[in-house]
Amino acid sequence: MKRLMLVPALVLCLCMSAFAAPVEIELVQYKQEALRTFDALAKKFNETHKNIHLTISSPNEPMTILKTRFIRENYPDIIGIGGDMDYSNFQDAELLADLTGYKGLEKIKKAYIDIIDGLKFVPRPGVFGVPYMANAAGVLYNKDIFDAHGWKIPESWPEFMKLCDDIQAAGIRPMFFGFKDTWTTLAPWNALAVDIAPADVCQNVNLGKTTFTKEYHEVAEKIYAMLKYAEEGPFAYGYNDACTAFARGESAMFVIGNYAIPQILSVNPKLNIDSFVMPGRNDSNHTLNSGVDIMFCVMDSCPHKEAAYEVLDFLLEPENIQAYVDEQNSVPCQTGEFRLTPMLNGMKKYIDAGRMSDYHDHHYPSEMAVDAQIQTYLIHGDINAFLARFDKDWIRYNRDIISKLKNYMAAH
Amino acid sequence: MANENIIAKEKFNWPVTILLLLGLFTVLFPLYMTVIIAFKQPSEMTNSVMGLLSFPETWSFENFREAMRVTDFWRSLFNSFLITAVTMVFSIIIHSLMGYAVARNMNTSKFYRFSYFYIVSGMFVPFAILMMPLVKQTAQLHIDNMFGVIVLYVVFYMPMNVLLYAGYLKNIPIALEEAAHVDGASTWTTYWKIIFPLMWPMHATVAVLTALGTWNDVMTPLVIMSGSGVNTLPLAQLNFQTQFGTNYNLAFASYLLALLPMLIFYLVAQKQIINGVINGAVK
Amino acid sequence: MKSQNERKRTFLMISIPILLLFFAFNTVPLIRGFIYSFTNFRGYGKFDWVGWRNYIDLFTDTRVGNSYWFTFKLALVATILINILSLIMALALNAKIKFKSFLRGMYFIPNILGALVVGYIFSYIFTYILPAITHAASMLASRTWAWLAIVIVCAWQSIAMNTLIYISGLQTVPEDVYEAAALDGATGWNRFRYITFPLIMPFFTINMVLCMKNNLMVFDQIMALTKGGPAQSTESISFLIYNNGMHGGQFGFQSANAVIFFIVIVIISVLQLRFLNRKEEQL
Repeated sequence: MKRLMLVPALVLCLCMSAFAAPVEIELVQYKQEALRTFDALAKKFNETHKNIHLTISSPNEPMTILKTRFIRENYPDIIGIGGDMDYSNFQDAELLADLTGYKGLEKIKKAYIDIIDGLKFVPRPGVFGVPYMANAAGVLYNKDIFDAHGWKIPESWPEFMKLCDDIQAAGIRPMFFGFKDTWTTLAPWNALAVDIAPADVCQNVNLGKTTFTKEYHEVAEKIYAMLKYAEEGPFAYGYNDACTAFARGESAMFVIGNYAIPQILSVNPKLNIDSFVMPGRNDSNHTLNSGVDIMFCVMDSCPHKEAAYEVLDFLLEPENIQAYVDEQNSVPCQTGEFRLTPMLNGMKKYIDAGRMSDYHDHHYPSEMAVDAQIQTYLIHGDINAFLARFDKDWIRYNRDIISKLKNYMAAH
Repeated sequence: MANENIIAKEKFNWPVTILLLLGLFTVLFPLYMTVIIAFKQPSEMTNSVMGLLSFPETWSFENFREAMRVTDFWRSLFNSFLITAVTMVFSIIIHSLMGYAVARNMNTSKFYRFSYFYIVSGMFVPFAILMMPLVKQTAQLHIDNMFGVIVLYVVFYMPMNVLLYAGYLKNIPIALEEAAHVDGASTWTTYWKIIFPLMWPMHATVAVLTALGTWNDVMTPLVIMSGSGVNTLPLAQLNFQTQFGTNYNLAFASYLLALLPMLIFYLVAQKQIINGVINGAVK
Repeated sequence: MKSQNERKRTFLMISIPILLLFFAFNTVPLIRGFIYSFTNFRGYGKFDWVGWRNYIDLFTDTRVGNSYWFTFKLALVATILINILSLIMALALNAKIKFKSFLRGMYFIPNILGALVVGYIFSYIFTYILPAITHAASMLASRTWAWLAIVIVCAWQSIAMNTLIYISGLQTVPEDVYEAAALDGATGWNRFRYITFPLIMPFFTINMVLCMKNNLMVFDQIMALTKGGPAQSTESISFLIYNNGMHGGQFGFQSANAVIFFIVIVIISVLQLRFLNRKEEQL
């Protein structure tokens, strides 16, 4: 059936090419779970734009595919990737085009432009991506359990600890961690770190202005303090166990991001979830842990930059953003009024006010395995050894970046 | 013929049979878990022991249908089948020849002894170090496609298979070939007429091991054919895993579907391994 | 004399093209990888030459040191365990048992199941079922015992493959040897010790080498069960090479790691092969 449909389409294409061949734009995006949303967007684009033909692919193992394509020098035109270390590396490898002057950037919230700017190894001028959607992390909680006991959202760290005590006293497990999968340790770590430590801590360490021993001490203490409210032996259970446990009401809270919601709902679609910002500080002046979930970068090698911008314009149209937000429960990076999922109600005022800061681990080199180091610390409990190793390893794993940064700073 | 009659009359070894049946628990229990998970819905997944071991609420093949749809089952199966079958045939031909050349000359020739150790040591190269250079190399040679994947498999499995063939040939007396030589047959003819058929049990073993490795492999097709849109079954099965969520129910259904062809192939090959003996004994 | 030359020529015509193929797709990329080990290459884009820095780092990195210790401990224990068990399995499955095909087929299944299934099922067994029975904490959460859990799963999966190789080895033992032995009164352990085992010694060699190699390169089981934890106690060498070389930006450094690792395993395996080959000749 599909083949038969293709024939007239092909004929149509051939006829049109007699006038002007449409420019081919290929977009590869890394959120495989958003495949259907992107397919729909591509279809809509191609129906409304006759001069450009857009192909969006959402492959499995997207980052491996992108990297191997880069090795082959078989570049797509636009890539949709997360605002993390991969972006930093691609930018540093000079694969991405500078989008300064592209009008769509004006509509993006400044907080997110700053976030991706902070990801650059070296503060070279230029904007190399258009932040599209953000995610937000903090504490997800079971609204039904909270309502039944009349518990309130904590405003500060002491209140949070008090709440945990209350929940435990009521015979309910406050949190489920699932620390067997090392990466899950980063969820509470990041949520605490953005609230307690300065956002540019990594860059300042690189410049030799401070140390992690100094900046992360409180973070490390507090994440350790949370352990006693979790399941027994959290290192035996994985992320999947934690999602299932929270979905089945076996814990009142789950310190994780909105990205876990689909997995939780797949186990229990009726679960009444809401969220709040992790109150890491002792006062009530908090910062939301939010990062760029997907951003679009135009490849430097793309021969049709104008056409690529037209694709970006289309993706940034408010109705298309809203469609994406509705389907993926995401947080848009663009200014303007959008309907968000009610599961993020507790975070909305931070999002609207732009009071957010990026995941610290987006600045950690993955080969340093900070997640495994945190897991090790939580098992041993030796805070000094942990922080000392953090500082020592940091210097080693980042020395190329540090020397690059120092050279750049000396030259500018 | 007389031999076979004796075998048939002999009694079964019941104590061993019973022990093997009891030991089967170690396989059946995980298999049981796989099957029931494949029939359950995500909403039936729990963390309690009894909840997980219980039967699904309904025995519906919906997961299997959905898994087949998501993986584009028949097309992926065809690609996997094609890659596996071609790799297998080339492996049996090329690797047995090399094993023969090595096994028959290793004790007298330095060149063949070196070749043997050279090829066998290739087994220990971590794929991760070869991966990036191979991606580049296959792209430059324009074989970043199924053909390239097959070529790589033939090279990857060469060390193991040459080791196997050379080991097997140690137990096949050289006198057989010498007799043929005296009759004036060339080495090439002798190989195909006498040695190759004698190695059936090993061919079947090599076929099973090579097929198994290629059938389940994700990495090679992923990096070599990335972005080409050609899917093998394991590549398509990546669909069930995203960064923050895995649909185990569909995935398990799909793995069970992928398991069946291999199991059938193995049982067929097993027959070859046993038949080989009888042929050998009759001669 | 003429036929000697013909034989030599045939063997060269067989082996040279095969060696060239192997060189092109195994040695060439290995050399390229070796060259990258002197850079800070991340797999794509620009890179700088860093001289011997990666190698110096390698010998001062406690993480790499720990991974060597863990990998060798695991490989040694798993190789011995797997070989003993699969030899027993092969003898049992080769005996005159009832349901032969069925039993052989069932015991082969662990080898076909994909890593996702094995990881999920065994995580479940170790996390929920075993603690429920033994009232002890999960092995996977224990720095002392997690490696043993990985040994168990490695064994569970790979016994099938080694059994298969032993079974095909047992086919080379002619039936009349047993008959002669029976006449001499050799049965049971003695028959195995003095007749069967010496005859299948080449297959023991093959299995030891293959098993050692597979276990030294353990990766899938670690990803599926512990992801290197708890407290980095189960990070194997391959785990570091893959995770940091591919997903991290450490391709250059991990290439150096892979080069050293390659040299170490080649030395071990060649020693192993030589030792076992000498034993074979003695028997």
